This record gives sequence, structure tokens and C-alpha cells, in this order.
Amino acid sequence: MTESTPAAAKIGDQLPQIVYGPISRTTLALYAGASGDHNPIHIDSDMAKSAGLDDVFAQGMLSFGVLARVPKSWAGTENLRAFGIRFVSMTQVHDVITCAGEIVEIFHDSGEKRARISLAATAQDGRKTLTGEAVVALPADLK
Amino acid sequence: MTDQMVAANPTGIFDRSKKGTRLRPVVIPIERGRIRFFARVLGETDPIHFDVGEARAMGYPDLVAPPSFFMSIEAAANEERARLGQTPVLKLINCDYRYLLHGDEHYEYFGLMFAGDEVSLTTTIVGFYEKKGGIMEFVTIESSLSHPVRGLLIRERRTLLHRLG
Repeated sequence: MTESTPAAAKIGDQLPQIVYGPISRTTLALYAGASGDHNPIHIDSDMAKSAGLDDVFAQGMLSFGVLARVPKSWAGTENLRAFGIRFVSMTQVHDVITCAGEIVEIFHDSGEKRARISLAATAQDGRKTLTGEAVVALPADLK
Repeated sequence: MTDQMVAANPTGIFDRSKKGTRLRPVVIPIERGRIRFFARVLGETDPIHFDVGEARAMGYPDLVAPPSFFMSIEAAANEERARLGQTPVLKLINCDYRYLLHGDEHYEYFGLMFAGDEVSLTTTIVGFYEKKGGIMEFVTIESSLSHPVRGLLIRERRTLLHRLG
């Protein structure tokens, strides 16, 4: 399969995948520090147990940030127009997530050619953890 | 019990009286080190997040923040509010971390964020609703991030929920 490029984008194109993990407790601590989101449920197993969970679980926004790399790396940061996702299941410690995107629509808006990209993050056992979509600006067609 | 009946007499944890509250804007400086740290944890390799020389060679004024860096600015805004004696958003609406989950998160992008920027964050508590007879209660929060010269950079909308059963 030939690699999809923004200049030749068409519906059905798969964007290069990003595989992230295994997600360790260190990853969770580092993301808490880097993001400033210090919610203890992700870094303190005593707290997680007091909430009735077996263990800490990963910050949703960690996977969100990795999934955002898929459209951003393909189209360029300055061409990302929108990015939105729904958190469909928890990402657990030791998960390896695969982030994938597919072009589902090409349209014009605000004087730009744009692509809508369907996105999903999936854990190693097939569990979907995040689903969503991005809109990116594409290079204008040559006249 | 229907969701409408629960809505008329909510039994959840969120402080519903905060609906419509608009928090005072907070100004946050964007630091190079913070961008590098954040980008590294996400596994980024793009030099525009790490190398000022490379970023400038690509035509940017300084390091470029990754698209989800908004999260870090929001956390900094909450710290700044605490420092100023104001109540952070999650405390204001009475979030209980034991039951709190993130439902969805949406960004619209109008411009990039660069190291050295001082950006302003405005946040509004849009409203509350419930599902499954009140076992799940939701809050919708919207924020705008803007730069004094370049204007609106990001519009954000999120849903948080308490799972109570």
C-alpha cells in the first residue's frame, strides 16, 4: 500500500499508525507531572483501592495526546483544525495502544480543502479505548 | 425513575448551582521546558517541540506546543487560581475524584501556541445532566484560550462524569 499524503488524500486512506506503550506506572507519573493533572486516581494505588478499583488506570488525556499525534504528524501541526474524542473504556497499566486514523470525508470549508479523519485507539486485546475524529486542512488542488 | 424526574430533583454530587458560572480569565505563560517535557512523555519526535533552532528554521517564532498541550495550560490556570485565592474549576463544581471520569474532549484550533506566549484562559460551566436514572451525572465545561495579539487560539469543550453505581 502506498503511503497517503495530504496532497493526494482520498477517502479510505489509512494514516500511519502510532503504537504507544506498554504504559507503565512511570508513564502515568510522568504524564501527571507534564500535564499538571495530579488526579491521584492515576498515580496512587491506595487512592484507587479506596475508590473500589483494583489498581490505578491511565489518564484519558495521555491516550488523547498520543492519538492527536496521528492527524497532526500526517497533516502538520498548523493544519489541525479540530480534534475531538470520546473515552469509551479505561486504559489500564501495561496496555499497549495502537492509534489509527482513516480519511472518511473530503470537503471545503472556510476557503480551505479539508479532510475529516476517523480515529481510534485500541489496546493489545482489541479493546477500543478512545474513538473520535479530526479535521485537517489539505493543500489546495492545482488549478 | 426517568432522567427527567432525576433532573428535577438531582441526587448527584456535582454542585448544580454553579451552572452558567464564568470564571475570571487567567493569564498563563507558556514555557519551553514544559513543552519539551509534555512532548517527550507523549512520545513526540518532531523537532519543532524540542529544538528552538529547528522550530525557527521552519518559520515558527519558538517551540510549538503539541495539540493536546491545552491540558497543561488548564492545569496551570487552576494552580494560578488557587494562588490567587480563587476556587479551581473541579472544586467549584464539587468533583469527587473517586468517581470522576472523563467522558469526551473536543478542541477547535484557530492558531498555534508557542513558547514565550502569554495566553489567557476563560472557562464557563455550561450545565449538568444525568443518565441511567442518576447513576451517571455529567457536567459540560467550555474554555477559550486566546493570545493578546493573535486572538482566539483554541476553543475547548469537555464532559466529565461521576459514575455513582
